Amino acid sequence: MRNDTMGIILTGDEKISPLTDIRANSALPVAGRYRIIDFVISNMANAGIVNVGIATESNYSSLMDHTRSGKPWDLDRKNSGLQILPPNLEKEKFGVIKGNIDLLAGIRDYIHRSTETYVILSLGNMVYNIDFAAVVKQHKAQQADITVVYKDVNGMEEADLSHYTLLDIDGEGCVTDIEVQPYYPKTTNASLEIFVMEKALLESIIDECSARGDVDFVKDAVIKKMDGMRIFGYKFDGHIYKVDSMKTYYQTNMQFLKEDRRKELFNRKRPIYTKTKDQSPTKYGADAKCTNSFISDGCVIEGTVINSILSRGVKVAKGAVVKDSIIMQNSVIEPDVEVSYVVFDKEVTITKGRKLIGQENYPLAISKGSVI
Amino acid sequence: MVSKKCVAMILAGGQGSRLGALTKNVAKPAVPFGGKYRIIDFPLSNCVHSGIDTVGVLTQYQPLELNTYIGNGNPWDLDRSMGGAYVLPPYQSGASGEWYKGTANAIYQNIGFMEGFNPENVLILSGDHIYKMHYGKMLEEHIAQDAAVTIAVMPVDWEEAKRFGIMNTDENGIITEFEEKPQNPKSNLASMGVYIFKYDVLKKYLTDDERDPESANDFGKNIIPKMLADGEKMVAYSFEGYWKDVGTIQSLWEANMDLIDDPPKFDLNDRKWVIYSRNYALMPHYIGETAKITNSTVTEGCEIDGEVDHSVIFSAVKIGKGAIVKDSVIMPGAVIGDGAVVEKAVIGVEATIGKNAKVGVSPESADNKYNSDYCTHGIVLVEGNATVADGEDIPKGSMIQA
Repeated sequence: MRNDTMGIILTGDEKISPLTDIRANSALPVAGRYRIIDFVISNMANAGIVNVGIATESNYSSLMDHTRSGKPWDLDRKNSGLQILPPNLEKEKFGVIKGNIDLLAGIRDYIHRSTETYVILSLGNMVYNIDFAAVVKQHKAQQADITVVYKDVNGMEEADLSHYTLLDIDGEGCVTDIEVQPYYPKTTNASLEIFVMEKALLESIIDECSARGDVDFVKDAVIKKMDGMRIFGYKFDGHIYKVDSMKTYYQTNMQFLKEDRRKELFNRKRPIYTKTKDQSPTKYGADAKCTNSFISDGCVIEGTVINSILSRGVKVAKGAVVKDSIIMQNSVIEPDVEVSYVVFDKEVTITKGRKLIGQENYPLAISKGSVI
Repeated sequence: MVSKKCVAMILAGGQGSRLGALTKNVAKPAVPFGGKYRIIDFPLSNCVHSGIDTVGVLTQYQPLELNTYIGNGNPWDLDRSMGGAYVLPPYQSGASGEWYKGTANAIYQNIGFMEGFNPENVLILSGDHIYKMHYGKMLEEHIAQDAAVTIAVMPVDWEEAKRFGIMNTDENGIITEFEEKPQNPKSNLASMGVYIFKYDVLKKYLTDDERDPESANDFGKNIIPKMLADGEKMVAYSFEGYWKDVGTIQSLWEANMDLIDDPPKFDLNDRKWVIYSRNYALMPHYIGETAKITNSTVTEGCEIDGEVDHSVIFSAVKIGKGAIVKDSVIMPGAVIGDGAVVEKAVIGVEATIGKNAKVGVSPESADNKYNSDYCTHGIVLVEGNATVADGEDIPKGSMIQA
């Protein structure tokens, strides 16, 4: 039987300069060989979903180039499959996208045409591995109108907590109150901005909000309608990382140096798929020294690499030292170079003997193709 | 009707019996090679880079894994609407269904497949050689020469020549004589098992050969000598570059070692001639705090905490703390326990080497119960899924079965 749930991925345009100058935030390389959006697409594919729409705002050619036909996720299907949905620039309202309702309104026709009963709404810039089938199952069992996936972030600093949308949840799992980025947080249940609902409900919310000029799905629709609806929470116990700043980008990558994170995010039951490049295995030279690092294929390592994440095809020459850094595809570290706390975009070359040192809370990012 | 300039047929049915326990459950072309490849990836990738988009893969011995591996041909860009990759097993037909009797008979039984593409030429390949070759250039030469068959040859050491089929040619590269494993070779040009035939010529000779009850139905033994006797125009096409038949444990081990020399004898990190392979969605490899890796290749999904020198580590291999791996080939999913020492060994798919075990360290001895004729030059072979117990001492030259 055909899966009764469709997936919609909203890709925002949180800027992480200079990395997002040339690509959508969701298309940022992460964990060496992946793009951030691989995680959510794989989560959906692993739940048997065969209709995935990716709503885009800007720089979407990077996403199109990455996903192509959807083949890596087995989403190149005769019916539906994976679709990139460019912003609808024809409609008069468009030009500036003020909130996620605008983004959804732009793909209203696609949603309407889809034949599934349920829809999962998620963001494209989060790294996580979730069993979406279990979320949908709970949604149906509780006969909820909307299910919000949340995580108990107990232990987090109050100041950080204030960045989240927080949920009050009763003993039955029912959401009784929602506050968006409250100054004084009352709970530690942070919404992960992942929602499950019937497609028909989403359509009516989009239409209603658009008609009133409302722009925010949570503030203008969910909160206002709370009294009349059954809104339930789905508690997610895994790790989840939202990438919306250079700091979170750097920290998210560094998570992969921890064994338990690798085991969780790359588990065998729910693999994370990505576009393949058929690189040869990575080669270590006679003087290579590499420790605590996550290394993709196609690299040639002749120098020293410590606490770092290397994408495909990176070259580290003899005498060079790469520490605490993220080096993207095909970058070249020439002999006797020393770098630490840097983020190199693709195809950066740092010439012989140069030094570049960033700081842990302020990594130094170098734009694509730069020669230093 | 569609007409293809050239269709490729890959002979992938052989057992590769000299590979011992490595080919107990898989055909030789499916044997892992070079970190993330299987042997068949080489001819398949060569075909695609040569502009040949229709490839029949003839399987027979232990075909399940090979068939699944090839699938619809997508990893090699061979999932095409007009052509593509096809797995061709032997089949029953009328009263006569039978196994492939020899290389020529295998192609003969698939004349129906080839007819469907109305080919002008047919490229016959073997599924068990490691090399990068532009068949397109050979095809151009074949057409320009208007040859009945063009046979790829390469110079080998004179010493080695008696192990090969040797082609003697005139000054224009026309083959005048063919000798299978000659005692006193007159030339050192060895046949690589790569042939391009004019299709109508091939069809005629295969059909005639089939009628001959005395024939072994083999290209080298029957078809080529018969064509030569008939005075067909047969041209030698010289290939220069790396080519290796990985038919024995030793040659398989050597060919893997050829990849990690500096510079490598055979370079796989060549973006102009990428070798494609089926991809298994594995994470990048993780090199731990206590690891030390030199002169080696490592690929996706591995977790390395031990010491690795001069070795080829395939995907999803785990090497524990304090373990030492030297001069070895560790196939996908194998686990090397903490403190184990592995030297000059071929460790099969998902084999387990127990903690503090010693593999290939102790000298060869006549009374070693694991001694095997397959394991020459002191190489140790551990079969896929086999287990070496914690602390066990496996001397050089052993073969450990599952």
